[in-house]
Amino acid sequence: MGKIKIFLIVLCSILVVSCESNTYSEVSGQTSNPTYEANIKPIITSNCTSCHYGTNQFPNLETYSGVRSACLVNNLVCRIEGEDCGIRMPQGGKLPQPNIDLIKLWVSNGFVEK
Amino acid sequence: MNVKLLLSLMFGLSVIGQASAQDDLLKQLDTVKPKEKQVEIAAFKGLQICNMQSTKLAAKGEWYVLISHRFGDLTEGLDNFFGLDDAYTKIGAIYGITNGLSVGLSRQTNNKIYELTAKYRIKSQEENGFPVTVVGYNTMDINTNLSTDIYPNLEFNNRLAYTTQLLVSRKFSDRFSAEIAPVFIHKNLYDPTTERDNQFVIGTGGRYKLTKRLSVNLEYAARIDAQENDVYHDLLSVGLDIETGGHIFQLVFSNCQTMNDVYVFSNATGKWNGGSIYFGFNLYRVF
Repeated sequence: MGKIKIFLIVLCSILVVSCESNTYSEVSGQTSNPTYEANIKPIITSNCTSCHYGTNQFPNLETYSGVRSACLVNNLVCRIEGEDCGIRMPQGGKLPQPNIDLIKLWVSNGFVEK
Repeated sequence: MNVKLLLSLMFGLSVIGQASAQDDLLKQLDTVKPKEKQVEIAAFKGLQICNMQSTKLAAKGEWYVLISHRFGDLTEGLDNFFGLDDAYTKIGAIYGITNGLSVGLSRQTNNKIYELTAKYRIKSQEENGFPVTVVGYNTMDINTNLSTDIYPNLEFNNRLAYTTQLLVSRKFSDRFSAEIAPVFIHKNLYDPTTERDNQFVIGTGGRYKLTKRLSVNLEYAARIDAQENDVYHDLLSVGLDIETGGHIFQLVFSNCQTMNDVYVFSNATGKWNGGSIYFGFNLYRVF
């Protein structure tokens, strides 16, 4: 029992430390002119390309032209926003809203590359 | 003289006889004494019911190696070969420090999450005694997929998310056990459009043994006062435990594809009535 108590005390103290919550928009950078290189590529890399690489899973989202064409032809925005065009992407959970908003802004600004 | 000798012999024998009779009486007293309360064992065969934790713990010094898969959306059919094209993997280990305390570490594909866990028994169910087994369970997630390229104001504690769970189970019969588990979830980073930073959940689960080595499991977890949206749903899973020597093999059908407890209880994306269903398995090997 002694060991368990010590362990619980340690565990509780870990749990008490750093419990302040932030929203995704609080930790996101704000920009009115997102570019592929600076803003979109990091989102795609950490959420999409683990499946959408090479010929593994269509469409390929590893390049600027791949992402642009997926937006224009393959309903990328619709797929990440909801389930009107097929099951939501990425699988496993919805992208945080600020990321979706940023991609939509990038699309409506005309796919700025750099 | 002979008569006297005979009488004294008989007396002696009867004394011995009485003494042994007294022993018997003492033994009888022992049996009348109330029995020690026996602890009910094996309410569940596996450490998990399907996605939820059961009240079973690793024994002292035991290592459990865990490999879990959840495949993609089963309802897409041949497009993704019933989900097998899109697998998530969780791999980890659990160690029993004592019979009542075990710790674990695992890592899963989705969001490259590392999950640290601690499980500790608070009270055991007893025959003709305490009615339930009570086990505490804590998890801490570290999301290593978050990037400062996307989130420049990100700090390390934003990567963390926790669950605190109280697992209460009762073995009703050799075949049937049930569990109820109040769960508290805290996320250090959340999307207010779809989820809460603090979320209460009531998890329930049960198992019914079909044969000695086979049982069917069911679990459901209701989010209390959850945010209204069509993205995340309450967890509902059905599973089958198959026990072979040294292995516990659990087949799972669930509306949750991810395998860390924070997501299991609050971010299940599938839906049983007209949504995505995921097939997968948990494999435990005991060392």
